[in-house]
Amino acid sequence: MDYTMEDTQNSAPEALEASKLNTSSQRNETQSVTKRLQAELMQLMIQPSPGISAFPDADGNLLSWTATITGPTETPYEGLNLKLSFAFPNTYPYSPPTVLFKSPIYHPNVDFSGRICLDILKDKWSAVYNVQSVLLSLQSLLGEPNNASPLNAQAAELWDSDQEEFKRHVLARHRDLDED
Amino acid sequence: MLSTVPLNVGRKRVFHSVFSPASLEARPPFASLFNHDQTPFTSFQSDGSSSTVKTASQVTVLSSDKEPLVDRQAWDQAWSAATVFLSVPDRGFAPIYEARDTDGNEALKDWNRLSPPSKETGEALTYLTAAAQNARTTSGTTGPKDLFSWYGDEIRRHFLMNLRGGLCELLRTPEKDGLLRTIVDCLQLVRRIYLAPIVHYLLPLLPTAEQGRVLTHLQRGFHTVVSYSLPWAEISKLLAEDLAQESLVILGIDTLLEESNSDENSQDGMEVDRQYSVSYEEWKQESTENRAHMMTEGEQDNVTIARDRLLAFLNGLQLVGLGGDKAQKVFAGVMNIMMTEFVRSAYTGKWETPTSATQHLRNWIEDVFARLAVQVLAIIHTPPSGNQTSGSLDVSFGDVEKWQEIGIARLGALRTSELFDVIVDWPASSGAVEDLRHFTTHPAARAYVTQSFIKILNQRLLHPGASTVEILQLYISIIRAFHLLDPKGVLLDRIARPIRRYLRDRDDTVKVIVSGLLAEPQSAEKQALPSSGDTLVELSTELAKAHQLSMQNNTSELDWDDMNWVPDPVDAAPDYRKSKSSDVIDSLISLFDSKETFVKELQALLGDRLLQRREDFDQEISVLELLKVRFGDSALQACEVMLKDISDSRRVDTSVRKDQGLSKPPSRMHTKRPTVQIPELHAKILSRFFWPEIQDQEFKVPDEIAYLQHRYSTGFESLKQSRKLTWRNGLGQVTVELELGDRTFVDEVSTWQATVIYAFQSDVEETTKMITDLASELDMAPALVRSACLFWVSKRILTEVSRDTFRVLEYLPAEAESQEDSADVPGQSTDTANAAAAAEAAAAAAAKETADAAAMEKMNLYWQFILGMLTNQGAMPLQRIVMMLKIVVPGGFPFSNEELREFLAGMVSKGKVEIASGGNYKLVH
Repeated sequence: MDYTMEDTQNSAPEALEASKLNTSSQRNETQSVTKRLQAELMQLMIQPSPGISAFPDADGNLLSWTATITGPTETPYEGLNLKLSFAFPNTYPYSPPTVLFKSPIYHPNVDFSGRICLDILKDKWSAVYNVQSVLLSLQSLLGEPNNASPLNAQAAELWDSDQEEFKRHVLARHRDLDED
Repeated sequence: MLSTVPLNVGRKRVFHSVFSPASLEARPPFASLFNHDQTPFTSFQSDGSSSTVKTASQVTVLSSDKEPLVDRQAWDQAWSAATVFLSVPDRGFAPIYEARDTDGNEALKDWNRLSPPSKETGEALTYLTAAAQNARTTSGTTGPKDLFSWYGDEIRRHFLMNLRGGLCELLRTPEKDGLLRTIVDCLQLVRRIYLAPIVHYLLPLLPTAEQGRVLTHLQRGFHTVVSYSLPWAEISKLLAEDLAQESLVILGIDTLLEESNSDENSQDGMEVDRQYSVSYEEWKQESTENRAHMMTEGEQDNVTIARDRLLAFLNGLQLVGLGGDKAQKVFAGVMNIMMTEFVRSAYTGKWETPTSATQHLRNWIEDVFARLAVQVLAIIHTPPSGNQTSGSLDVSFGDVEKWQEIGIARLGALRTSELFDVIVDWPASSGAVEDLRHFTTHPAARAYVTQSFIKILNQRLLHPGASTVEILQLYISIIRAFHLLDPKGVLLDRIARPIRRYLRDRDDTVKVIVSGLLAEPQSAEKQALPSSGDTLVELSTELAKAHQLSMQNNTSELDWDDMNWVPDPVDAAPDYRKSKSSDVIDSLISLFDSKETFVKELQALLGDRLLQRREDFDQEISVLELLKVRFGDSALQACEVMLKDISDSRRVDTSVRKDQGLSKPPSRMHTKRPTVQIPELHAKILSRFFWPEIQDQEFKVPDEIAYLQHRYSTGFESLKQSRKLTWRNGLGQVTVELELGDRTFVDEVSTWQATVIYAFQSDVEETTKMITDLASELDMAPALVRSACLFWVSKRILTEVSRDTFRVLEYLPAEAESQEDSADVPGQSTDTANAAAAAEAAAAAAAKETADAAAMEKMNLYWQFILGMLTNQGAMPLQRIVMMLKIVVPGGFPFSNEELREFLAGMVSKGKVEIASGGNYKLVH
């Protein structure tokens, strides 16, 4: 008989399991975020909205996504593919995701590093919003910029004064990221 | 040899009565002789017998030179006379060997050991002893020239010269049986030869106080020679064998072994009134008073004989100097083995409850085991070494208790090794678990039990060969057994972990659990074997039972008034929960992290069962109610709705049928149109949203039915506004009545089978139809049509004329015909059997077809995923697409790389994707 394993509480497998379980609350949190994102993805897949699309990045934890907005017709962005990045915090959907334009874009409410000024991504965020609604808001923002609080003052000015010149700026700045 | 026993005993008794133990202890001269005689001592050990003799004789010569006090000449004369008288003749080993079986007196005479000394010699002896006495009293030390020390040397010389070789040779003989006894006999004879003249003629000359000292001295010398000149390793082996042989009989183990062998043969042949027995079985049957005497009284003859034989043998062993602590060590080793052997032979497979194995074992150890130990140790005691008082037993009660504990531990080890089988036999084997309880009292034992059990589990249960039902069944038994073993549930908690981990990996675990929960408890009673079949019927019984229990006592950790509260045991794991451990259902349900998997499976199974045509669904309702207690109402809402659908639709069905005049036509209508019966149509109305997806084959039902369906729908829609009925034609049962040329056929079949046979209906005899025609006519998948046709072939309604062409079998082949040709009969029955098998296979094929279609449907969803992936992440190779799909698709991606490649190839040909450089798939804009 082998009595050497007297101190069973510290024996390896159980200790391992215990340590795993101690982190369970944290894991649960991540799990609920993942679950929610999975559901959102499923919804996007089942009922795709025209002009918008989003998909998780290849890192596999679902917390960062890439989205694509096709420029709406009758806007200066018509036919352009605009890429965005979504970074979801662990507290999602109670705090908003960080959304950035990855494609260079000329827009009154977007600065040159892609940061977006949109109230629902800041203080007006609510848990009922989701990826789809954010993308739809951004899509409409392309057609109707909020010139009251511009990040790009020149663009805001041009939008109001010279639509032709604005479109020229948009096309000059745009670059398709897919071409690499 | 038997005759020597009383002699020895008698001698010993005399010896003890004359000499107090204190005098025995005081024997410094011998020790000193040992010390200064180092050289010869080592030399005879290293096999230089002749040199020893030489040294010894030198000593005598030298010492005689140094003797100034006595009259030299007289002393020399006396010395030579005495030595001549005393010296042992060198006759070699052979005569001793031959005389070993006699009483020894002949040999003693032969060896001239009994004849009294002549007058001169007697005087010489007296003179020498007196001189030695004088020397001792005057100088206080023993003179070097001592007759007794000379005789000691003489014994040694003689033994080494004559006997050692012979004995060693004897030891080497291959015939080991009884060899040690022979040797002991020889040595005893030798001992007598050596000591006889001393005892008879020399000792009386000494003062009484001296006699004991001298005799011990000589004996010790003899023992030393014997024990050092014979190879102990071989002797200990022989001794162990002898001891084992005898103690097997004395401890009753041999009868146990015989019993277990002869158990199968005959029970009647055994003497019923045998009183003495160590058998656990027999002991258990006795009353309590009898039990106490069973192992102490009425010893069987062979046991008594064996015991006497062993004790006598050991006596001899002790006398010739082969006893002592070396023999004790051997004895201890043998007894150790015997203990294990006894536990194994007495208790293996004896798992009945109530158990008293531990008590029996304790009794056995006290009455039988300890008795033998006391008897044996009394004989092969170590030479008294100072602080031991003569009256005390060699075995104290503390020792016996310790042995009992060892015995219990052995029993525990046995039970632990049996534990798996014990649990397989549960609950018939609960006694074994009770035995184990006595063992698992300290943490080390508990750790031992869990560790070895987990090892066995991994070996015997948790492998692909065991079915999930078996594993779950055993898990339930384990839960129950360990609950008995350790009500706190700590051990179970440890054992359960690997099982639970393993079960989580099994795909069908949920399915088995759920179907077990929904199984009919009545059928469990009928079957009598709860584990038979592929369902765990036990679970449903357990569910009801556990609920009753939980109603009785819902004590929890938060019950502050619980005066019986105790903290968790020290060896509990940090996340161990007490209350949950004994609840089988809860243990199984909590296998899964989320309730969802469980609820989903429950829904699917419930769906299947609710669609069956049955009078009531009481079982399902009660199970659902019980599960609601555990899961909460909200989790099982869908199931609730499903049940409600069924009960509602019964009500709705009646009212719709009444409204639409679909209920049974009154009898007068029946008389009017006797030939055409309007079929009855009942419907179950399901709320699509709450039901699991049901795979369904679409086809056209016969017009009559379609008409009924239409009327039913109208009725329903008028009853429930804003609701619409979608008919699932593939689900349902039809009672068909077929009138054939020579017989009618009534059976309940599925809708599609009925539809197909309906298509054969005509007034023309010998209707023949092709599968393809039927398929287009009925809008049904050809595989399904074929399956239905084959079903009817198996019922001997249709016959397959040629491949895929079927004809109605209006008249069965004449009975006489088939009887004439007897070979035809089995042939026909195999035909039917074949057809049935074929029908089954075809049905399976049809089911697979629909499943494939469903899979394609799913593929569309995957296409959306791929689309999203390629849009946002850019072009990527197949490998990565598969990998991503595996991550993001809920429930996993069921297709292989090859299947996906094929699918993507299809998309490439449709122009939706293209293959860019490096095998990357890229969307075409």
